Amino acid sequence: MLHSVRMLLVALLLAAPGAAYGAKDLVVGVPATLTGLDPADLNDNLSQSAARLMFEGLYNLDEHMKLQPQLAESYEATEDAKEFTFHLRKGITFHDGTPFNAQAVKFSFDRAGNPDNHLKRQSLYVMIDHTDVVDDYTVRMVLKYPFGAFVNDVAHPGALIMSPKSIQEYGKEVTRHPSGTGPYTFVSWSADTLKMKKNEHYWKQGQPKIDTITYRTVPENGARIAMLQAGEAQFIYPVPPELIASLQNSPTVTVFNEPSILGRYVYLNNMRKPFNDPRVRLALNYAIDKQAFIKVVFNGHADPIDSPAPQLLPFYEKQGFYAYDPAKAKALLAEAGYPNGFESTLTGGADTLVQRGMQFIQQQLAAVGIKINVEPLEAGVLTAKMFNVKGPEDATIVMLYGGWSSSTGDADWGLRPILYTKSFPPVLSNLAWYSNPVTDAAIEAGLATVDLTKRAAAYAKVQEQAWKDAPWIFLSVDHSLAAYSKKLHGAFMRPDQQFYLRTDASLD
Amino acid sequence: MIDYLIRRLVGTIPVLLAVSLFVFLFVHLLPGDPARLVAGPDATPQDIAAVRADMGLDRPLVVQYLRYLGQTVQFQLGRSIKTHQTVAELIGERFMPTLLLTVFAMVWSVIGGVAVGVLSGVKRGRWQDQLAMVLAISGISFPGFWLGLLLIDLFSVRLGWLPTGGYESWQSFVLPAFTLGTGVAAVMARFTRSAFVEITAEDYVRTARAKGVPERLVVWKHTLRNALIPVITLTGLQFGFLLGGAIVVETVFAWPGLGRLLVDSVSYRDYPVIQAEILLFSFEFVLINLIVDLLYAVVNPEIRLR
Amino acid sequence: MSDVALATPTIRSPSAEFWRRFRRKHVALLSGGVLLLLIVAAAAAPWIAPYGPTTPDYDSVLAGPSWQHLCGTDTFGRDIFSRILWGGRISLTVGFVSVALGGLAGVVLGLVSGFFGGLVDGFIMRLMDVLLAFPGILLAIGVVALLGPGIDNVIYAIAVFSVPVFARLVRGSTLALKQTLYVQAARSIGVRAPMLMLRHILPGTLPSVIVYCSLRVGTSILTAAALSFIGLGAPPPSPEWGTMLAEGRSYLGVADQITLFPGIAIFVTVLAFNLLGDGLRDALDQKLR
Repeated sequence: MLHSVRMLLVALLLAAPGAAYGAKDLVVGVPATLTGLDPADLNDNLSQSAARLMFEGLYNLDEHMKLQPQLAESYEATEDAKEFTFHLRKGITFHDGTPFNAQAVKFSFDRAGNPDNHLKRQSLYVMIDHTDVVDDYTVRMVLKYPFGAFVNDVAHPGALIMSPKSIQEYGKEVTRHPSGTGPYTFVSWSADTLKMKKNEHYWKQGQPKIDTITYRTVPENGARIAMLQAGEAQFIYPVPPELIASLQNSPTVTVFNEPSILGRYVYLNNMRKPFNDPRVRLALNYAIDKQAFIKVVFNGHADPIDSPAPQLLPFYEKQGFYAYDPAKAKALLAEAGYPNGFESTLTGGADTLVQRGMQFIQQQLAAVGIKINVEPLEAGVLTAKMFNVKGPEDATIVMLYGGWSSSTGDADWGLRPILYTKSFPPVLSNLAWYSNPVTDAAIEAGLATVDLTKRAAAYAKVQEQAWKDAPWIFLSVDHSLAAYSKKLHGAFMRPDQQFYLRTDASLD
Repeated sequence: MIDYLIRRLVGTIPVLLAVSLFVFLFVHLLPGDPARLVAGPDATPQDIAAVRADMGLDRPLVVQYLRYLGQTVQFQLGRSIKTHQTVAELIGERFMPTLLLTVFAMVWSVIGGVAVGVLSGVKRGRWQDQLAMVLAISGISFPGFWLGLLLIDLFSVRLGWLPTGGYESWQSFVLPAFTLGTGVAAVMARFTRSAFVEITAEDYVRTARAKGVPERLVVWKHTLRNALIPVITLTGLQFGFLLGGAIVVETVFAWPGLGRLLVDSVSYRDYPVIQAEILLFSFEFVLINLIVDLLYAVVNPEIRLR
Repeated sequence: MSDVALATPTIRSPSAEFWRRFRRKHVALLSGGVLLLLIVAAAAAPWIAPYGPTTPDYDSVLAGPSWQHLCGTDTFGRDIFSRILWGGRISLTVGFVSVALGGLAGVVLGLVSGFFGGLVDGFIMRLMDVLLAFPGILLAIGVVALLGPGIDNVIYAIAVFSVPVFARLVRGSTLALKQTLYVQAARSIGVRAPMLMLRHILPGTLPSVIVYCSLRVGTSILTAAALSFIGLGAPPPSPEWGTMLAEGRSYLGVADQITLFPGIAIFVTVLAFNLLGDGLRDALDQKLR
């Protein structure tokens, strides 16, 4: 026994990584474990942000969610939004030495879009009819139907370009052997730790400036912050809003606190009593003090929402504000036939921030006579309750504390999944079962063109109509909350709450 | 002896079979669709169908169970639904951290617990005994996550002496091993004390005393050695429990062990991983039970292995 | 050691003997007193708590301890002292009821298993092995997932943890008691199995069951806290202590009162139950005189 303990000790001391002094090592503390590194097979922000460091797309969204060319230099689209031609950057190679060219792009797109490959991001590609190699550095995608938001799809992490050789070599296992063109190359990934190192042959001269990046999973909020304070990590996210204040005065730490595109709503089942009555839905909107909600639940680190779309979503149009007015709420309830309120159940997730939000709603609605039972559910049960339904008849959720963030950064994916009649669960996430032909028509119009003014007009209509119909209780827009060492420059949380490291990021 | 071993090992097969069926039904009865969870919040039906087909979840339950059983017998544990890693590899890389943490926690808590227990036993009824027992029992009275967070706050943030966690260097073992061991140490101390007191009352110890053998020798030679026998048994059992992975401690200290893997797999409904882990725990448990029984026979030849 | 040598051979009734010895366990007596106080305080919460347990006050959120709020206030401006008093009702109920349920099931299984032996014993004990090998938290997740969130289901989940331990304990003493002269005698005059178990064996197992109950109540309260930590405890706005502790844990270093006071409440209660159980065991166990 003693002997084996000594052996273990020795093994451990040998295994302890020697700190390489002088090297610029960035440690990022993240809340969950990665699910993989095959960009076409990822759906979580965390793994996507890691993939972004090793892979690049034809286009990219920068730290402000603005479209920027990356592996492509430019594109042209036909007026009907059915053909997109990309001109590629020359002289780039993948980490495994394979040259980057139009054939590689076609290979990547064909693989990800092929339903037989069972990849999670296949839906990003469903509109593509076929991809043509025009010449070595020109590639054209022909769509089955108009899709105005196509370039945003191309900029999505699901469309990052992978080395064809790595796919042929590893098949599905490529998720553990990533090879892209990005500024960092893969070193190792086991259990809680992903290690990457500088790509010495990166196509941008003199970049990257950081030698190694390590992603470390630290599930507990307090422990993650302790890690940053103790200098074990240089960037951590998320930071719970209540702890922002404790970091704000730190001499070594900078707090990142910027609006995101995550809108927070309570989805009301528009097909069920009492929420099928628009007066009841309006009453609920007036019954919540949004400023107090932000102060109490988010310690002030959120913004009120004034449209179905968050302010930073493209084509956002300000609609108004349902100011706190409990008297008006009561009057509306009485008018709708509920002078003494009613009883209902508010469902949501089990994490503390969500539970705090649900308790606040419960307290506020109690003041206008509505008794709310809070039902926090474990993730698996919650998704089952949300999506194991055939239609509005068998929905079991009447009020859902939730939110939505557009993963493509485009207005279409910000509004269609939650407001379109054809997006009823289980298809997509229209969890309020909201259906209005005016909204539906506007959503369709927004997709049918690449003309920005036409799209803007269409989405303005969507927002106006949905705001008037108030299918949800409109609450707030989350802030992306993170913290990082003052030595680190060029690191952000993008508004879609994805960790974003600029290629010229540096560590002092 | 060999005969006995073989019979015992064969005897575990029905238990493991029962566990495999139990856990299979259990995970499949849990509400929640792994395909939906894996495909993510903004997945379309195509995405979900792709995932489901990929995982073989579109087949009847009986077929799924038989397939799972057949593969398990051949030690093919399948692939994780979440990460596509083979389950064997996944559990392999999580096993060492849990094992090492368990060893560290056990080492300090057994030494500390036995020492406190002996002290208490020797000074039975006096203030030293009462103080030692109150202290030891305090160890099992703390909510684990609270203790862990307080320790991180004190030793990592305020004092800067130790890392906040993670499976990195020997320093990073200190806080999680301490937190994990407090409960075990308390049980050990309590148990050692009882065993010690019980044996002091035995005839041969009383005889030794009556014969004028010095007290120190009585404690060391006659009492302690015999008191240690049940303590060793208890150590084995506690070891078995800890090997299952300590969910709370592993979460607080960002420890890449089996306990957190289990929680992660449950929240993703990662069936193959859950099933393999539970089977592993059951096997460990059965194995440790067997070793404990063997130890009994080694220590006391009166006990026949039948 | 002197009391061992000089133990008087006077014969007393078992309960008098127990009291004689328990009276000398000062730590255990003190623990019993503390527990009594906690139970009374929790029972009297509606009359003595200065505020409602869920009444928010957005104008005084995260206030430190003061004369107005003895233990300060939480995120919603709720009075932490009042919540602890009210929460005591829930936490103590969780402890008592889950142990009662788990203990009852375990005692029945252990009795039957030990008494009948053979196949029945084999089956029940293998079942207990499976249950013991099954990580408790996973079982709890299963119970809460299948039955839905709520304090009742938390109690059931925790009760399941206790069943195998009680079953093993009772089976052990049943095996020993079955061989005793009085049980053999009762059997020989034709006393039937159910009667034998209830009248002659069960009472003999009770002392160790009682001791174990006392130790187990503390464990159950801690398990409830651990369940809250992974988000499966009593749903908010319940002032259950573990829920309060888990909900407030990210305020550590910002508003320590949110976790400090419920943490102390849990610690003191569990410690008291453990020390009481230890004292009971010492007093009940003949061998440990």
